[in-house]
Amino acid sequence: MKWWLIAWREIRWEVFLDRTSLLRTGIFVVIPLFFVVSNRGIPQGPAGDLTLLGLALQSVFFPALSGVALIAATFSMEKENGTLVPLLAAPIRDFDIVLGKLVGMVVPVMVACVVTLAAAYGLAAYRYGVARVERVLTPELIYAVLVLSLLYLVTTGSVTMIVAARVKSSRAAQQVAGLVIALSAAVFAGLGFVASQLGEGWPLLALGVGLVLADVLALELARRVWQREEVIGRV
Amino acid sequence: MIDVRQLTRHFDGTRALDDVSFQVHPGEIVALLGPNGAGKTTASRIIGGILAPSGGDVLVDGISVRKDANQVRARCGFVTDQPSLYERMPLRRYLGFFARLYDVAQPDVRAADLAKLLGLDDVIDRKLATFSRGMRQKVAIARALVHDPPVLLLDEPATALDPEMSQMLRGFIISLRARHRAILLTTHDLDEAQRIADRVVVLYKGKVLRIGATSDVRAAGRPSYTVAFAGDPAVARGALKRAGIDADSATARDGLTALRFAADDPAAVNPAALRALLDAGVRVVTLSAEERSLEDAYLSILAEARR
Ligand SMILES: Nc1ncnc2c1ncn2[C@@H]1O[C@H](COP(=O)(O)OP(=O)(O)OP(=O)(O)O)[C@@H](O)[C@H]1O
Ligand SMILES: [Mg+2]
Repeated sequence: MKWWLIAWREIRWEVFLDRTSLLRTGIFVVIPLFFVVSNRGIPQGPAGDLTLLGLALQSVFFPALSGVALIAATFSMEKENGTLVPLLAAPIRDFDIVLGKLVGMVVPVMVACVVTLAAAYGLAAYRYGVARVERVLTPELIYAVLVLSLLYLVTTGSVTMIVAARVKSSRAAQQVAGLVIALSAAVFAGLGFVASQLGEGWPLLALGVGLVLADVLALELARRVWQREEVIGRV
Repeated sequence: MIDVRQLTRHFDGTRALDDVSFQVHPGEIVALLGPNGAGKTTASRIIGGILAPSGGDVLVDGISVRKDANQVRARCGFVTDQPSLYERMPLRRYLGFFARLYDVAQPDVRAADLAKLLGLDDVIDRKLATFSRGMRQKVAIARALVHDPPVLLLDEPATALDPEMSQMLRGFIISLRARHRAILLTTHDLDEAQRIADRVVVLYKGKVLRIGATSDVRAAGRPSYTVAFAGDPAVARGALKRAGIDADSATARDGLTALRFAADDPAAVNPAALRALLDAGVRVVTLSAEERSLEDAYLSILAEARR
């Protein structure tokens, strides 16, 4: 359970006390909500339903995307500051460090996702009618979206961690995180487009399956690659 | 306690450590000396289980870092050359966090005790970001002691400490030695090393250049003597020269002039020197053995290696 110690420290003493990261996350929470509010009315019928769905997805994935940058930043900062060394000197498994860092970042970001989704739901219900929103955004769908974003976070989080462990500066890590964000945004957009063209749910399902696979792969990779040796050898 | 065996470490291409072997016993302070880039930090990182060896092995308390790094880590307290702390945490929480990582029985009690031990109890609830450099160094030391380890790896622990503090630290390290800790002290402060180290290891370009008891390392080389007198330095030098003694250039000392010379056989050379000087009318005040400092010894060892 050492990983939980590390995760909790991260949540309690870093995330919630870091004004810039709070601000950044805040922006990524507000943007999708702004989209919900500023939308010029939604037509009845499937097209409108899809827009509603899109808004809901946005409100989850925007904060999730910001989370990737957060993971890259905190981890490589810690490496740069040298605060990682005492952690590496402690009698804990390498994996405790990886998992601790990951959980410490994923949990707050997931909280932001849930909060944004709830707010988006509330705002949408207020603007477009409760019955309509309830019909489109079923509990199953919301659950699926949240699980998807969790998987997404874990996958990209472990990938960015691997990269952050291997690169020398936090700037490089940030750039890679930016790349990950851009790539995954492209994938989401592409899948969203396919879904809207076909009017079917399978692209979303494919995304889910793909993420689970990527997840397992990335965590395993993180476990293997992320050794003290690698990290300190590149400090 | 620490047994370094033929340790080698490469960093893509460069050889940071090359066949290094030495030991540190319980109740002993060993100073690890050497110029910048000699491999001191690399050596202590490998001993502490942070960095893997490329060749050779380190046994701590009989446990191999290659085989069971975590058992080794649990036995080592590590003070890094930079006190990198979590700035946002208050001291109490910081020490408590590490105490928990090391499975200390009562982490919060331990944190409070350590703060007190290092004289930080009045700032225990202050954020580390507000600490001065010296205070941070103390925090790093407290962190290393959190699990009361039998082995201490101190990598330049006295950097940024004021004289009073570094004296306190010295006393502290000595008290740890009295409690049978094995202490490897990396330092550039040769005066400090001379005062507290039982043995020294001199590293140079990744190799052990000299290893031995501090007093032996200091004594190695030709003993030298200083004669202090009132009078003309040129006359004194000339007199010594005629007696077959080559003196270094004259220095002023306490209103007198001092000349230093080396003597392989002081029982024969010193009386001859004195006689020559007195015969030349030089008013000799003292003739004393030159205490060779560890610094002198260290510098001459390095100069020899560079040749
Ligand atoms: N992570 C690293 N990657 C590449 N080379 C390294 C790394 N760490 C150390 N080195 C190299 O290994 C050699 C020894 O470095 P080390 O830090 O052990 O020296 P040191 O004796 O502690 O020096 P100093 O007195 O300056 O602290 C140096 O040539 C250094 O450049
Ligand atoms: Mg060093």
